[in-house]
Amino acid sequence: MTAVLLDNLGQFLSALGTFLTPLALFHMGWSTLLGIVIGALPGLTATMGVALVTTLTYKLNADLAILILMCVYVGAIYGGSRTAILINIPGTPANAATTLDGYPLAKQGLAGRAMGVATTGSVLGSVIGMFFLATLAPLLGNYALKFQSFEFFWLAIFGIVVSGHLTALQDPIKGWIAGFIGLMTAMVGQEGIHAYDRFTYGTTELMGGFALIPAMVGAFGFAEVLTVMRDPAGEMAGNPRDSVFPKLGDITKYWRTIIRSGLIGTVIGIIPGVGEDIGAWVSYAAARRKSKEREKFGKGSIEGLIAAETGNNAVVPGAIIPVLTLAIPGSAPAAVLLAAMFIHGVRPGPMIMVESPQFVYQVVAMVFYATLAMGLFGILLTKPLLTVLAIPRTKLMPVVFVLCAIGSYAITSRVFDIWVMIGFGLLGFVLREMKYPMAPLVLGIILGDLLDKNLRRGLVLTDGDITPFFTRPICLVLWLITAASILLTIEPLRRAVQRAWQAARPGRGQGR
Amino acid sequence: MIRADFVTGIVLILGSLYVIFESWRMPRMEHLGAHPLSVPGIVPAFLAAILIIFGGVLVIRSVMLGGHRLGLSAAKAREVLARPGNQRLLTTGVLTIGYAGILIGRVPYALATGLFIFAFIVLFEWKKGLAPARTARLVGCAAILAAAVTLLVSWSFERLFLVTLP
Repeated sequence: MTAVLLDNLGQFLSALGTFLTPLALFHMGWSTLLGIVIGALPGLTATMGVALVTTLTYKLNADLAILILMCVYVGAIYGGSRTAILINIPGTPANAATTLDGYPLAKQGLAGRAMGVATTGSVLGSVIGMFFLATLAPLLGNYALKFQSFEFFWLAIFGIVVSGHLTALQDPIKGWIAGFIGLMTAMVGQEGIHAYDRFTYGTTELMGGFALIPAMVGAFGFAEVLTVMRDPAGEMAGNPRDSVFPKLGDITKYWRTIIRSGLIGTVIGIIPGVGEDIGAWVSYAAARRKSKEREKFGKGSIEGLIAAETGNNAVVPGAIIPVLTLAIPGSAPAAVLLAAMFIHGVRPGPMIMVESPQFVYQVVAMVFYATLAMGLFGILLTKPLLTVLAIPRTKLMPVVFVLCAIGSYAITSRVFDIWVMIGFGLLGFVLREMKYPMAPLVLGIILGDLLDKNLRRGLVLTDGDITPFFTRPICLVLWLITAASILLTIEPLRRAVQRAWQAARPGRGQGR
Repeated sequence: MIRADFVTGIVLILGSLYVIFESWRMPRMEHLGAHPLSVPGIVPAFLAAILIIFGGVLVIRSVMLGGHRLGLSAAKAREVLARPGNQRLLTTGVLTIGYAGILIGRVPYALATGLFIFAFIVLFEWKKGLAPARTARLVGCAAILAAAVTLLVSWSFERLFLVTLP
């Protein structure tokens, strides 16, 4: 065990050295800064930022391109806390829980303190997630080698159902519908077993299916432009006058909350297609449940703010774990990252620990540097960075849309991809208006091919016998969780299970 | 929302029925000796069947809450369209789709982009009764920003990323 840990540490240190070049440090700097700005600007999300920047990195080598995207991703999730604290509008959906205590703190004249706490939480969340990325990814990668068609089929269904459930807790069926629409979207184009063109109607542009990056730029970029222009503009609570330097006391006082939120964030990150916003909400809810200062939550609680920000940033490395080991994204920005890896010739998935184990540690090093840069910029450039919030949306949004259009076109130089961006933008806007979450849709588009090939392969292997789909150990666990996730949304059934659970624990049941 | 759910449910059911019909028409690859369970239509049909169930749940749920009474009328449509947020949305939709869907590919890229940014800023920032001096300033500002962004985007994509502009 010690030898394995030392080996891991050695590989990590060697990966750290890879990026200690002036060019890599330069890319790290500007991309993290850009990520923070993207996150801070209302209407520009982390997914949109990573998707747009992907279109700018085609000509770079894979290591630098992925490093830039990772820095944008980490920076954007952190940057969104600025807007959440000062304007009460989450810069990215990941910072929605941050508004609950961040904005009240700003109203009390403690905007600087709130930003310092957000910086502390974000850095520590990333560090906790990074630790698990370094230790769990190799283990999961080796375990994933046991997966066959049956397991991959259930992994796709499990991902869609669990992601759909967790991203639409009020109405899970909408999350599932979004996921299955995503899967259906992936059916367009040439299928991978007989090379038959499905739903292309003779259009050559559709033979390769809908390109992922234009679809994501549309669903997260164009849809966001429409939403931002429709909604009224937010008002700033006032510039911070107090110190933005993080306080050591916040870490020592709330260390339990920080570790708990980091763990929750990482686990939420590993679950396919759930993402940073859920990580923040679950961490926040857990912190409130366990807090001794519960009454302060929602009124400017430092503990609540630190929980939300630790939780959302811990999701980032967590979401990369399934990307590297299973080629399944843990969040929407991680989905773009996965697509970018494919574009740059990196093949994540179960074979990664066999073919290029060093890449896993390079990714850990990238997260490390991104976290370092995020912490530095967060402390040193907080006040100058706030000037970007003064840019009116009427000037920012046309520029964003110009980038959406040219970015979608630039991948293969096809005007058709601009139409794909527009189509997915409109679809994304309408679905969001009707409270359908976007993350399962994106996950569906990515997992469609995996589900398609593995269901058919599995059925051919067993000559139509579906028993192995339900009896193999990993399949059994996956389908049981999937079924429970669906069945427990049926109210009478859920109540019956709750009654049975309470009856089985008489000590607790009697007290209520 | 229950009315929207009702319409979504109907659209899902009809769309999924169409997918099943199309999947049924896909070749069975018998001439290649393919296994009948590996045919291309099997997975789309499976997904469509699940979406029909979800669509059905949406329809039943909304009908039980009275969502099938859509209550559409011209007066209501006018009222919805008159809301400032929806007017901004409509203007944004027309400008963005006009630019990306119609102008790009037909008009030189730089001209289309410059026009789009200029029109966007002027349309959203100009207000009735704005003093001539402020109007001139707004137009000047919009023109400078449009020119600067167009030049920067065109140059960086063409020279830096080696993309042939549309």
